[in-house]
Amino acid sequence: MNDSLALTEDQRDCLQEVVNVAMGQAGDSLARFLEVFIHLSVPRIRLVERDELNAELEKMVGGAVVPVSGVSQGFYQLDTGSGIRGEAIVVFTDSSFKELADLLAYDDELTTESEKELLLDVTNILNGACLNGVGEQIEAELGFSPPSIMGQHVPISLLLEHQQATWDHALLVEITYTLEDRSFSCTMFLLMPGESIEVVKQALDRLLEDL
Amino acid sequence: MSIPLLICDDSAMARKQVKRSLPEDWDVAVTMATNGVEGMEAIRAGQGEMVFLDLTMPELDGYGVLQAIKEEGHKCIVIVISADIQPEARERVMALGALDFIKKPVDGKKLQDVLRKYGLI
Repeated sequence: MNDSLALTEDQRDCLQEVVNVAMGQAGDSLARFLEVFIHLSVPRIRLVERDELNAELEKMVGGAVVPVSGVSQGFYQLDTGSGIRGEAIVVFTDSSFKELADLLAYDDELTTESEKELLLDVTNILNGACLNGVGEQIEAELGFSPPSIMGQHVPISLLLEHQQATWDHALLVEITYTLEDRSFSCTMFLLMPGESIEVVKQALDRLLEDL
Repeated sequence: MSIPLLICDDSAMARKQVKRSLPEDWDVAVTMATNGVEGMEAIRAGQGEMVFLDLTMPELDGYGVLQAIKEEGHKCIVIVISADIQPEARERVMALGALDFIKKPVDGKKLQDVLRKYGLI
């Protein structure tokens, strides 16, 4: 592991709290959209190598063969050319669609198209609130590229197959939103590659200095 | 005599933010806990007459702590400080006996306004 990229314990703790606050805002937005109570878990943060990513994500969604659907959206810092950039990936388990359709009172049978719509709606809500929440706290204005569907009802390794990863190490943040008494669970992964980590670390150090 | 005050949050940064937000001249003896289990141990040891409590924590979360305080009959004043800003989160903790809810990130003004509101300072 590249030592210069590794976060210190203080930086990891600080990022976790920053993500925690952003997750709270995103959870609230999703709760309002679905009119339910969203259960939040402690966000998890790790530095991963490219080869480890698949295994890490499989662990998070509960196995290599669990069928999932996913949306990816790039984000980047607006005010600088070499600032933070990364990808937000929102992954849904299959059973979540029925629950979503039920909560949103969809009458018709779900089609691939209507599932795409649900995926994009929820992704927009979560990404908007969460990434803006992170950006606000670290004083970085973030822009977004349009979200794109990565795949539907496939193992998570296939979801990532199209991605030409150009990084060796990335910071992986995992945020899970679940509903009580319903089999809905969606996980958001923030993936920030190599050179971005340094920028994130500097931003975290500034926050820590203010303490 | 100093008031035994417990700050229970899994984040070191959040604990520092709370500590820094306390009124300077407030006579308190501060104990820190990094999860709900540690928090309950401190409360049982009499270190938490006042508790600033996070909700999303490993081991035992803030809801679990409020539940345990109730079941074990401790007389603590609990103020929840959480990033979970869903109105229902607030309703739930109030129903479990919390005095009030402060949204994260906390600052001195927010925290002291709440303490003043209840005549605690």
